[in-house]
Amino acid sequence: MTQIMRCLRNTPLTTLLSATTLSLTMLTVLTPTARAVEPVDFARDIKPLLDAQCMKCHGREKRKGGVLLTYRAAAMTESDLAHKPIVPGDPDASEMIRRLTLQDDDERMPPSKAPLKAEEVDLLRRWIKEGAVWPDDGSHRKHWAYIKPVRPELPAVSDASWCRTPIDRFVLARLDAEKLTPSREEDPAKLLRRVYLDLIGIPPTPEEADAFLADQSPEAYEKVVDRLLASPRYGEKWARQWLDLARYADSNGFQADQIRENWAYRDWVIKAMNADMPFDEFTIDQLAGDLLPDATVDTRVATGFHRLTTCNVEAGVHPEENRTNQVFDRVNTTGTVWLGTTIECCQCHSHKYDPFTQNEYYQLFAYFNNTPLEVKQKAGVTFDFVGPKMALPLPEQQRGKYADLHGKYAALKAKYDAATTQAAADQKRWERDAAEALRHPPKWTTLRPAAFETTGGETYEVLDDGSVLLGGTVPGTTVYTFTAQTSLTNITGFKIETLTDDSLPGKGPGRGDEERSNFVLNEFTVTAATAKTPGKAAPVKLTDPRADYSQPNWDVGGLIDGNGKTGWAIADQFHKPHWATFQTDKPLNADGGETVLTFTLDQNFGRGRVIGRLRLSALTGSGDALGLPKEVATLLMKDDKRSKKEQKVIDDYYAKANPVADKIRSEMEAVKRELDNIEPPTTLVMVEMDKPRETHVMMRGNYLHPGQEVEPGTPATLHPLDPDLPKNRLGFAQWLMSPENPLTARVTVNRWWAAFMSRGIVATQEDFGTQCEPPTHPKLLDWLAVEFIESGWSMKHMHKLIAMSAAYRQSSKVTPELVERDPVNLLYARGPRFRLSAEQIRDSALRVSGLLSEKMYGEPVYPPQPPGIWRQVGRNEPKFNTSTGEDRFRRGVYVIWRRAAPYPSMVNFDAPDRAACVPNRARTNTPLQALTLLNDEAYVEMGLALAARVMQDRAGADTRDKVTYAFRRVLVREPTSFEAEHLAGVYERELAQLKKSPKEAEELIRTVKGYTPPKQLDHVELAAWFRVANVLLNLDETVTKG
Amino acid sequence: MNQSEIRTPKSTIDMARRQMFQRLGMGIGGAALGSLLAKDLIAAPAHKRFVHESPMTPKPSHFPARAKSVIYIHLVGAPSHLDLFNYRPVLQQRNGELCPDEFFKGKQLAFIREQPTLLGTPTDKKFNFSRCGESGIPLSNLLPHLQTVADEMCVIKTLHTDQFNHAPAQMFLLTGFNRFGRPSIGSWATYGLGSENQNLPGFVVMVTGQVLGAGNSAWGSGFLPTVYQGIEFRSQGDPVLFLSNPSGIDSGDRRRIIDSVNVLNKAQLADVGDPEIATRIAQYEMAYRMQTSVPELMDISHEPKHIHEMYGTAPGKTSFANNCLLARRMVERGVRFVQLFDQGWDMHGSVFGSLPKKTAQVDQPIAALIKDLKQRGMLDDTLIVWSAEFGRTPMAQGNNGEGKKTSVGRDHHKEAYSVWMAGGGVKGGHIYGETDDFGYAPVRDAMHVHDFNATIMHLMGMDHERLTFRFQGRDYRLTDVHGVVAEGVMA
Repeated sequence: MTQIMRCLRNTPLTTLLSATTLSLTMLTVLTPTARAVEPVDFARDIKPLLDAQCMKCHGREKRKGGVLLTYRAAAMTESDLAHKPIVPGDPDASEMIRRLTLQDDDERMPPSKAPLKAEEVDLLRRWIKEGAVWPDDGSHRKHWAYIKPVRPELPAVSDASWCRTPIDRFVLARLDAEKLTPSREEDPAKLLRRVYLDLIGIPPTPEEADAFLADQSPEAYEKVVDRLLASPRYGEKWARQWLDLARYADSNGFQADQIRENWAYRDWVIKAMNADMPFDEFTIDQLAGDLLPDATVDTRVATGFHRLTTCNVEAGVHPEENRTNQVFDRVNTTGTVWLGTTIECCQCHSHKYDPFTQNEYYQLFAYFNNTPLEVKQKAGVTFDFVGPKMALPLPEQQRGKYADLHGKYAALKAKYDAATTQAAADQKRWERDAAEALRHPPKWTTLRPAAFETTGGETYEVLDDGSVLLGGTVPGTTVYTFTAQTSLTNITGFKIETLTDDSLPGKGPGRGDEERSNFVLNEFTVTAATAKTPGKAAPVKLTDPRADYSQPNWDVGGLIDGNGKTGWAIADQFHKPHWATFQTDKPLNADGGETVLTFTLDQNFGRGRVIGRLRLSALTGSGDALGLPKEVATLLMKDDKRSKKEQKVIDDYYAKANPVADKIRSEMEAVKRELDNIEPPTTLVMVEMDKPRETHVMMRGNYLHPGQEVEPGTPATLHPLDPDLPKNRLGFAQWLMSPENPLTARVTVNRWWAAFMSRGIVATQEDFGTQCEPPTHPKLLDWLAVEFIESGWSMKHMHKLIAMSAAYRQSSKVTPELVERDPVNLLYARGPRFRLSAEQIRDSALRVSGLLSEKMYGEPVYPPQPPGIWRQVGRNEPKFNTSTGEDRFRRGVYVIWRRAAPYPSMVNFDAPDRAACVPNRARTNTPLQALTLLNDEAYVEMGLALAARVMQDRAGADTRDKVTYAFRRVLVREPTSFEAEHLAGVYERELAQLKKSPKEAEELIRTVKGYTPPKQLDHVELAAWFRVANVLLNLDETVTKG
Repeated sequence: MNQSEIRTPKSTIDMARRQMFQRLGMGIGGAALGSLLAKDLIAAPAHKRFVHESPMTPKPSHFPARAKSVIYIHLVGAPSHLDLFNYRPVLQQRNGELCPDEFFKGKQLAFIREQPTLLGTPTDKKFNFSRCGESGIPLSNLLPHLQTVADEMCVIKTLHTDQFNHAPAQMFLLTGFNRFGRPSIGSWATYGLGSENQNLPGFVVMVTGQVLGAGNSAWGSGFLPTVYQGIEFRSQGDPVLFLSNPSGIDSGDRRRIIDSVNVLNKAQLADVGDPEIATRIAQYEMAYRMQTSVPELMDISHEPKHIHEMYGTAPGKTSFANNCLLARRMVERGVRFVQLFDQGWDMHGSVFGSLPKKTAQVDQPIAALIKDLKQRGMLDDTLIVWSAEFGRTPMAQGNNGEGKKTSVGRDHHKEAYSVWMAGGGVKGGHIYGETDDFGYAPVRDAMHVHDFNATIMHLMGMDHERLTFRFQGRDYRLTDVHGVVAEGVMA
């Protein structure tokens, strides 16, 4: 009764959603009469009420008013009040009853909550009256789940012949009690599909079904079960559930959510399950495989389990805080997975409901506290994901090649070092010289004429600024010859300036016209000679002509093109000074000394278009002139203050200029590329630090507020810790797998039971504490737990037991009577029927369409998803490169799992982001699921492939036959005549429609990227079959295990 | 009772089966099919509703709601609130001085590693604050459009949080917990209240710029059923994933295919009697309707010119402004919770260069949204929230993440920051709380993130302490074991 009260008092919102709560209510309603006359049972009736209503304030932590309701002696005596809370035998003298029934709001219990229901108060009164029986002998005080299970006797049942396994005795006994009868055995084809989906996650082919249906031996079904348990597909199916618990993903989570490499762990899980690795070994390897005395590569890979936590590497993260959060996650996940315990409640305070203290939480924390930081400062407050990685061994055939390449690389490296050492001294000198040159920034020096000649008979004057001002006659054409002598070294360019002057018409710079004071300079040449041998002048090659302005069609480039008809002019930018510059192809006068430069300026346009005032300058010193990239030039100027990285830039630049070293280097790079190709992949592993960290209680869970120091240890409520076990993760894992552990076996078999039967015997798979849903079949749970331990922790043994049971093999049909009495199938009067997981839906559709690749293991795959799902997320952003070939069609367990954006079609079927441990996925039913199966590119490919299969495998058969074949590929069973007729009708209808618009068929086939149907198939027929396939892949039955 | 929606293949179902189908199937099928029917169901007592209700059916609030819908705008990266909403003249005067020791010593700062100087809002005109509206609340001149709706806004100056890195702070604000795994505020809201429109999701998310650090967890459903997670409406490709039919399948083809699926599903329902099948039939109907209703919703080309001018929207473009207009269209259609995320506010460097560019993108459309809702009489029951994961320091930051010098910016700040609400029962033209002269910490009416969430829940008619979900043996809620409703922000 109390149970009902509690349920009904839940908020309506919770009740609506929690099918479990409500259905329990309904069940309990089945037998309401029996209870009234029974004596009150403390554990059943009173304890839950106290827990729900009183413990928040009167538990060990708060003891409000000095009242402690955790054990009898305290409840009968302790209190700051004048009256005892409970006086056995006398409810009226018990302060508890008075306080619960006060009308006055101030004193009434529980404060600021609705008063207890009259029935509840009545129950408490009766209990007190009956002497307040409160079993206090230790075992009763403990919640059932903390007491080691013992194998119960098999109960008597109404029909022993129905029972195929001990499981069935417990199920039937309960059905007997409820006066229900089990359903008949499921149709063979449907049962076959069910057991295939449960054991290997994909349905049987029609051929496999035919073989089973033809096998009349009594062991036919068992043979199938054994074969499936031995199939490599088994591990792929069952790994999924474990990977949810392990929060397995291929990325870090958080801000940038970069990809990380830990798929070897996923493969390890698949292999372990296929090998039926005993669960104790499976556990110890994952929690402490690195600490085993005989640790192997495999046991180290297994420790990836606790490296799968998320890791924040966003800028500004505090590494210690990140590490603390990771350890919290490891402790909490361990609590959920192995103990079914909400240990995380103790991070901030002792558990409100369950017998775990905050101190004990940090004792567990201490076991996991000795791993290194996993983010590392890169620069400033930028961080990288680090943490221990392990290289995986290479396959045999690659190992030799890998060694060869390593040898080759080492030899090249030696040669390279020799070549560069010799060059090192040269390089040092070059660096100094280059820096010296760079330090002298580009500088223009005016060249004063040592001599100036003209051919037009003009006069000239040298002004103070070194310019030459022309006067006198204005010639039609003229050639100026300008000679200068200079001691400048390393001249790298020249400049012509045509200047204005008041004496010129229109101020110049040309001399011919006041209004249009243009000039036309046709050619500009330079020769250079040493002062000692002025006769031996050599022409200077000019490059890179530039000008502040060039008249259209009179570009400055015309000055150095050797063509006397082209040239530089400045209309219509009259009356202003102008300039033109050139670079020399190599520095002049590099060795120092005096140089004689002779410039010739040919102006043959006519009509006095000649320069009126002229100045020439020489350029010295320029980074550009050295031809250095800007980065190198800048670094050179830093001299010896360069960082290692910066020096490398210079070394690389210099090495490239060193042809011998450069050649060796490119060979090295080629070898390196080959090496990278077979570089062993890595995986994340746990590593214990040499020196363990001190662990302190964290006040309110805050790592900045350490409390008292604690040693590693296990909760006192659970089985004792053998003092001989090492005080590390290994010792902890061994403690966990002790046969004395009351929780792990129960929690584990319950999880499997739920996978087969839809819900756990304890519905709250994640919580076996005092607040859990009470088990529907407590003795069955204990029987299974003991059987599990005694089988040597064999997962396959347990799975076979369940699959062989009569309870599992029942028809899943829901009769009106059953839906009324047991809507969510708590009692197993029928077989399980529920929606498949995201992965099963994908894998099944791949299988029935014939596309499924059976390739196992390795790097994650990228099946098609809509563009833009992996959006920009910042630094080291990963790319989604859709897989081609068979990787496109591999099982869901191999699909890349990026936490910020998991594979969307699986998300739509309730796949979690795997950022945290997920003990029990939701099973929703939404329109987005319909859209996914109807329109997702992946399912369109599968639909088309299924259509093609049907046409090929049943070529020449009639429509009805093809429909039946397609139906059986998808659903295994024969279609009913209605179904077959309906689908044949769909085909004929769509064929007729497509014949009218064959364009639609072409469009479909053309746009499907991942699958190309065989050429011989008629496109219109194929498109019609595609639509039939589309219908089949969208059926409720297709995505349901029934 | 809505029987025309589901046609049972008469040829295959005998009378008894049909009766059962009606009893089992019509409830769920019908409930999800139409909001009218769903509304009728509210009247049914709780225990009768169990089998017969879609999780999105509208549910009664705990007490009368002030806001029926929420448009929650999250400025990702955290805007420089001191330069927008919290005018601090003393900080301006003391610009450049080393900050007081207590601002730095023993504090957790993300980027600043040496004792920083104070950083005031620049004194040039474009950064000035003006007293706005009749209420005269000061708003920065960087927000000229919001200045015109100041009388609708309740500026909260004293919000504070526990987290100072983006992703954990986003999760802390939006899910009440700094690590993964908890439901977001929008999923709590739809879990508590359902949705008014059964043809559209109840909780819609739109993102401009990069996705935020918390990723999909910012709108995830945590341990709540996944039907309550935010559905992202995307601006490129299908607005809802997988909405479009493949090439070679038109709407008529799709209708026929869905009809065929449903005919067979109904036969299956009649045979095995599982009510889940009825739900699936209804979901296929809704999927088909979404193929029309979503594109219709997303198509803003028919909005009049003056509306486009008001928001600064352009059909076919991806912009924050478009998302504001879409938010209005969603709320009009009964979407419960719309969340807009806009990235680009994390200004560690060059805050005074970047801030005006970002405010120019959001100021006009948000002001337009407020005015538009008001002119449609919808502002009273639509709550608009401007929020961020934390604020920014009153101290200057001069280095970037790699330790290199940059022009001046502000670091992450968790002690006090400014956000605002409008509409939906909020006191307009009001300032809630006060900080010290530097804007470093609250001196009056501090509001923790849990209080903020409790207040939003309250405005939606929900008691944050009663809206719980049992998971791992514990009743979880958005506000953990904290949260006090701030009465002072309510009208």
